[in-house]
Amino acid sequence: MTALLVLAVLATLLGGTVLAALMDRAALPLAALLTRQRVETEAPDRMNRDLSSAWYLALAAIGLSVVPFAPGLALIDSPVGIVIWGSCEALVVVTVFLHGWSPNAPFPLIGAYRYAAIGLPIMLPSMFVLIAAALPAESLSLIDIVESQREIWNVLRQPLGLPLFLVVALAMTLRGPMDYADAADIATGTSAEESGAARALWQVARLAMLVSISAIAATVFLGGPLGPVLPGPVWLWLKTAALMALTVWIGNRVARTTPDRMLTILWVVLLPLSFLGLIIAGVMAL
Amino acid sequence: MAMTHLVRWAARAPAPVYAAIGPGRQAEVERLLTRPGLNRAKTPRDAAILLVAGDLPSSSLDALNRLHDQLPRPRTTLRWLDGDQEAIAHRITTALRALCDGAAGEDDRLPDTPANEWKGIGPHGQGGKGMMGGTPYGRPMAMTGKDVRDGLQLDRYTTRVGPFAPMLPPGLVLEVTLQGDVICEASVQAAPFAQPAEADAPALCAARMLRLLGLDAAADRVIRGRPLRAAWVTGAVPRGLARINDTDARDRLSAWLRSRTVTVAPPDLAALLPGSEWSEAMLILASLPPSALIRAARATEAA
Repeated sequence: MTALLVLAVLATLLGGTVLAALMDRAALPLAALLTRQRVETEAPDRMNRDLSSAWYLALAAIGLSVVPFAPGLALIDSPVGIVIWGSCEALVVVTVFLHGWSPNAPFPLIGAYRYAAIGLPIMLPSMFVLIAAALPAESLSLIDIVESQREIWNVLRQPLGLPLFLVVALAMTLRGPMDYADAADIATGTSAEESGAARALWQVARLAMLVSISAIAATVFLGGPLGPVLPGPVWLWLKTAALMALTVWIGNRVARTTPDRMLTILWVVLLPLSFLGLIIAGVMAL
Repeated sequence: MAMTHLVRWAARAPAPVYAAIGPGRQAEVERLLTRPGLNRAKTPRDAAILLVAGDLPSSSLDALNRLHDQLPRPRTTLRWLDGDQEAIAHRITTALRALCDGAAGEDDRLPDTPANEWKGIGPHGQGGKGMMGGTPYGRPMAMTGKDVRDGLQLDRYTTRVGPFAPMLPPGLVLEVTLQGDVICEASVQAAPFAQPAEADAPALCAARMLRLLGLDAAADRVIRGRPLRAAWVTGAVPRGLARINDTDARDRLSAWLRSRTVTVAPPDLAALLPGSEWSEAMLILASLPPSALIRAARATEAA
């Protein structure tokens, strides 16, 4: 069964990444990148440069490993699955920072620091909405959170949760209105000096993270593998794909404001809103 | 076999083009790069084709050579002088196919060695004496100075950006002193290249701001004269940014999106940019019609 679950996680990550590349119309450009040279900057931090994309991919895989593919069945059946995912989110900030730090160039470094500044206030609403979703389940396990949604999905029980988590998803996948690390005004920021296969790998890792965070959102807010007729994994894949499409659509359609203004929005609007959601969920769970 | 498939897919991908735009060619290039089959690269590292549009002044040839060498191999340079869009689009796709078919591409134009020997200490060359300020081994290092916002001591880093930087108007060379991404000082080292009135067209001006707001697809749609299809567009531009003649950057974007031409008096760039973050500064520059920006930069340069 463990081998089957390992296969399910890897197949979901691989298939989902290909689907995400198609949604982004990035499949052919990614293939083209592999035919081009990888350029070196002067005195880069080679170890972190090579590791950052690998970390990003690994965090996407680790995040997906706590997602139940059927009721009661996850590769890592942890009593603190939500905390494992939370640590993945926090480490994404570190990974993106290292990606910007390592080329030893100004625009990547600006992207790295910007992302670190945005990263903290985006972590807090994320943790609040996830804890709010854990309250009805009285558990931090994603398997228990799925079970708690048999009667009503969290997207209906806690309507603030999914919209707020989608903002987190945009930030974790460096996309559209939350892409402060690889933005156009800094020539794609942390990726500005990267070419060829290295650039392709970073883009693939971003797409893989989109799969992972969409699967987490599907699990926490849309009942994960729960659903009639079709088998559990199919429901999870369908819900994940729908959330991936929604995130891509928002990313392409919503404008990105300046980092300074986004910081104000995060601290003054989204953080209190997520805290309000947590208080309401707490009172309802009493 | 896998390599054959890869090369075949690469040949079918949109051609990644980085444009070095010369005098009078900004509008034509911006329209060209919205064509299907062409992809406007946001950094030279992501391009295979260097498009040199128009006659560049000899003062920017060094910068062009440096830009050329920043493109990864295999790469090719195409010069576009006549303004025929069909012909250049065909030449670009043909050149990409040739690169995918194994054409050698171009060698570096400049020696691939550091201008100054690197003498850092440690496994990553990260350490050494005198790491604050000055130009050890020919490299300018950050030095602490008063933060322009709260007076704390923060690193200041001075660098030049342009004349072919993707976020700046073609030809503009800025020398900026940054603390983090806040501009403390800015001076114009070279004014943007002169552009005809067509570069002030509302659709083109709006598209430049839309790209900075992360709305590439919307920018292409606006240039092609189609509906915008994007949300929170003007709202994303902070109020009060670059207020000139009673209009700020948001007002100007709003007017351009309604197909209205905007005229503003040339501002004092050296006074306008300091104190703003890099992303705000780029929005400020994009919110000025090229004609006003060129006059402003020339006045600042002369001063």
